[in-house]
Amino acid sequence: MTVVIGFEGSANKIGVGIVRDGEVLANPRRTYITPPGQGFLPSETSKHHRGVILTVLREALQQAALKPADIDCVAYTKGPGMGAPLVTVAIVARTVAQLWRKPLLGVNHCIGHIEMGRLITHANNPTVLYVSGGNTQVIAYSEKRYRIFGETIDIAVGNCLDRFARVIKISNDPSPGYNIEQMAKKGSQYVELPYTVKGMDVSFSGILSYIEETLFAMLVEITERAMAHCSSQEVLIVGGVGCNLRLQEMMRIMCMERGAKVFATDERFCVDNGAMIAQAGWEMFRAGQLTDLADSWITQRYRTDEVEVTWRD
Amino acid sequence: MELRNIEMAARGGGEDCKKEDKLEFRVLHVPLPSEREASIALGSLAPDREPRKGGITKELSALGNVLSVRWTADEARILRVSVGSFLDNLALVLETMEQFGPSVPL
Repeated sequence: MTVVIGFEGSANKIGVGIVRDGEVLANPRRTYITPPGQGFLPSETSKHHRGVILTVLREALQQAALKPADIDCVAYTKGPGMGAPLVTVAIVARTVAQLWRKPLLGVNHCIGHIEMGRLITHANNPTVLYVSGGNTQVIAYSEKRYRIFGETIDIAVGNCLDRFARVIKISNDPSPGYNIEQMAKKGSQYVELPYTVKGMDVSFSGILSYIEETLFAMLVEITERAMAHCSSQEVLIVGGVGCNLRLQEMMRIMCMERGAKVFATDERFCVDNGAMIAQAGWEMFRAGQLTDLADSWITQRYRTDEVEVTWRD
Repeated sequence: MELRNIEMAARGGGEDCKKEDKLEFRVLHVPLPSEREASIALGSLAPDREPRKGGITKELSALGNVLSVRWTADEARILRVSVGSFLDNLALVLETMEQFGPSVPL
């Protein structure tokens, strides 16, 4: 029996999760939500996380009905992400690892998403579309690495959606992406040009539908291309933007044409959470990986293919 | 080794402000309840590099139950930011040790 606790806080979500042999025992989370029209900045995000992380940690232990002695390994997000929030979370992870005298493991955030997706959906060896506010990558596993087949050359798709939400002052509660999706559902007309004026009024739901259709079509295309290269029959969508049902539907249509299957998780696991870090940590720990305290520094840049995936064949 | 508390350093009682060399130099000595806690604090606070690439260095060490931090910086405002962040992080370590340390039943 192996129990791993995972700490995640690389963006505006702070989560602590506990995993035991494929079972998620606890996964509490808090989100730092800014007023409409504002994004979240590193120092304020870090301050938010500092204010709640110990409460969330206590909740995780209580929900799992475990004591620190029951934990086998402390996993935390090494990167990528925002510097100050990453440091805040790493500091607490290092402190409890030393207090409880448990080994420490630095986890790649993207791999956390992938391993949680694999655990929840039981997808065997999928082409992975990782889409969130901070990342957009198409990934396939090959010979001990999660290879990046394609990625954004500038900003992440979630970042694009979030910035657009900011411009038109959509609420950030629970997340800008979620509110865009709800409003886009009401748009029944796909508008060729992103400019809709009705007399003295403007209509935004058409623009949002346009935005979603175009962005998601781009993602479906690059995923299909990666699948063709890898002769893959499975797609796994992970990351916060993966919650979007329209994206899932568009992916499903593409997959049906190829006789392939789409896998996705619900918002508990596609949005950043602590249990995904615990799950990746569980895989890494069982494969014998550990992180020395002196090497436990966080890093804002950490590519998915830098990690040696020793736990897969 | 002399012990100074954080308040003294904040009032400008730290060692060696060499303004003429454009080198700000501050030392904090933080007494912790035990040697083990000083060692844990060091382990938690030392690994991360300063986010700013140039213009500041920070060195941490522990001797007995005292955690010591020594900064060199090109400008006072860079020093201020680093010291501020460090104190926030130190407070978090102390609070974590207080809430999840061995003496607390869970």
